[in-house]
Amino acid sequence: MKIFVKVFASLRKKYPNITDLNPLEMEIDKGTTLAQLIARLNFNQEEVKIILVNGLRASVEDIINEEGSIISFFPAVGGG
Amino acid sequence: MEFGYMNKWLKVNLTLKEFKDFSISEDILRKYVGGKGIAVHLLWKYVSKLEEKGINVKDFDALSSENMLIFATGPVTGTRSPNSGRHHVMALKSPLTGSIGSGNSGGRWGAKLKFAGYDGIVVIGKTEKPVYISIIDGSVEIHDATELWGKNSIETSNHLRNKHDKKRAGVSCIGPAGENLVPMAVIINEEHRAVGRTGLGAVMASKNLKAIIVEGNSKPNIAKPDEFNLKVKEHVEKLKENGVTGEGLPTYGTAVLVNIINQNGMFPTKNWQTGVNPDAEKISGETLTEEYLIDKHPCWGCVVACGRKTKVDKGNYKITYTEGPEYESIWALGGTTTINNMAAVIKANHYCDIFGMDPISVGSSIAAAMELNEKGMIPEEDLQGIDLRFGNADAVIELTWMTAFRQGLGFWIGEGSRKMCQHYGSPDLSMSVKGLEMPAYDPRGAKGIGLNYATGNRGGCHVTGYTIAAEILGDVDRFTTEGKAELTKIFQDFTSLVNSSVNCLFLTFALGLDEYAEMIGPITGWDVNSDELLTIGERITNLERMIINKFGITGKDDTLPKRLLEEKMPEGPSKGQTVDLDTMKEEYYELRGWVDGIPSEEKIIELGLK
Repeated sequence: MKIFVKVFASLRKKYPNITDLNPLEMEIDKGTTLAQLIARLNFNQEEVKIILVNGLRASVEDIINEEGSIISFFPAVGGG
Repeated sequence: MEFGYMNKWLKVNLTLKEFKDFSISEDILRKYVGGKGIAVHLLWKYVSKLEEKGINVKDFDALSSENMLIFATGPVTGTRSPNSGRHHVMALKSPLTGSIGSGNSGGRWGAKLKFAGYDGIVVIGKTEKPVYISIIDGSVEIHDATELWGKNSIETSNHLRNKHDKKRAGVSCIGPAGENLVPMAVIINEEHRAVGRTGLGAVMASKNLKAIIVEGNSKPNIAKPDEFNLKVKEHVEKLKENGVTGEGLPTYGTAVLVNIINQNGMFPTKNWQTGVNPDAEKISGETLTEEYLIDKHPCWGCVVACGRKTKVDKGNYKITYTEGPEYESIWALGGTTTINNMAAVIKANHYCDIFGMDPISVGSSIAAAMELNEKGMIPEEDLQGIDLRFGNADAVIELTWMTAFRQGLGFWIGEGSRKMCQHYGSPDLSMSVKGLEMPAYDPRGAKGIGLNYATGNRGGCHVTGYTIAAEILGDVDRFTTEGKAELTKIFQDFTSLVNSSVNCLFLTFALGLDEYAEMIGPITGWDVNSDELLTIGERITNLERMIINKFGITGKDDTLPKRLLEEKMPEGPSKGQTVDLDTMKEEYYELRGWVDGIPSEEKIIELGLK
């Protein structure tokens, strides 16, 4: 199943070329959880604070169900 | 009051060119703490005085000499407690909105005012010729400022620091936009820090007051220094360990929000016609850091350093040095206008800083003009050849300086989107609340911030109660209306307390009410706890509300633009959403003890405001 991964802010230290305009295309097995995807990307779960699947909040135990899903990973971010 | 305060306020009557010191009693300080709280208290007293004189405050002109302008610090300002260089400014009335004038600024001016020997300054009246005020080591003087009139914020600040031979002095001043009485003019300090919202620069200018320079060597006494120093250390550690204040903000500045807000489908685009901007990455914090950042730039005593020193090396918008832009400026000048060009945003933001204007109101009003033009509402002759399309960066730059100098269509931009959209026959295209342009979060994607915009006393404002911290950056369901009344109330009351302390709202990403008690207690010697502090915040919010009620602002004004209430978000992750404001507002009024936006008699008595 094909998905698109976007990483932001300090998570780009590991993947400097993955941006909103240039997401990473990945093949995953059906039933893959976000925790497994995080591990496959070599992130620690602690550094990923906010996960969006197609713009909606998700948690690490959620399973990625939809072909073509956009998964966005953020560290702790804030501002005003 | 022995500790935390300088025990001295300055009252300046510019009409009489007189000034005198006064003090605030400890029982009033305990009720309102400082900063915004004391300013609201003084404005409420002033309303009574005006009413006694038979003046109807409802019809009161914000640019009349009788408007009161207050610069205020609090007990935390200027101490070793982190991020405490800030100050709060208020006016009885805003020339932009007709509601109360209120703004808060970073920099170092707040701390320097205390070092100069004062907790705050109250200004009334108007001089015939331009003046500036110096407060150096407790000595106050009013000087002629004719030679400063026309100078921008950088020129003014440099001139005054050189003239007084005080290289690190704090200078608050107005730029040409203020002098031209643009209703969205700001008061700038340290060249790039603004008391940004509600047009307080125009109020200062209407008094012919160009600047206030402050410097000195006094320090507030601390009641329990050992306990205080221990708590300072703990608070700094918490700020360093927190992901937002320890890494996100220092590395990327507030612009780190561009991508996450856009990924949630609530980054207002094309004057809020949609919440999705496919090119937001080009104006993101990541892009700013990679391509334009020289260094970070902390305010006085700041351990976060979200401020940016930036430059543009190539292209049409070259600039060798400026500061910013931050998230809101980027969105207003570059996102809702859809120019998606960081270099142009940096240039337009620089113009806002040196001419002295609020980039949120400027950018948002330009975007409203773009939509008016898209719908054919602006006559050809008013456009004067400007190609006012969404996405045209040159038009944004041109209109920014035209706004400062009230040229052509810039006149109407400067009047604010409410008046401009009324003038061109489409009032619903103004994305404002109570006449104040809303900031960069579409509440169709986070309902609590919509309630906060609607009920904010100064108008459409995020830093009245930043529920985004819970709804987008935290774990609260962003689409539900359930629980948002309580969330909004707590955020608003806590923020009133922060703005009275006075320190930086960003501390609250890492520090809560308990930590505020740990600052204010040892500084003042008061035995305060978080409940008392939240009640103080509630008291200030209510008293401010009682003032705007005097202007005829009530429940009917606690609303949102029709677009957010009725037009479904057309695309993206927030697709199909509107804001069900009435449900939240009813619950909010009940929690607040308000009837139709007016504090009830019982609430007034409960908070000791009778």
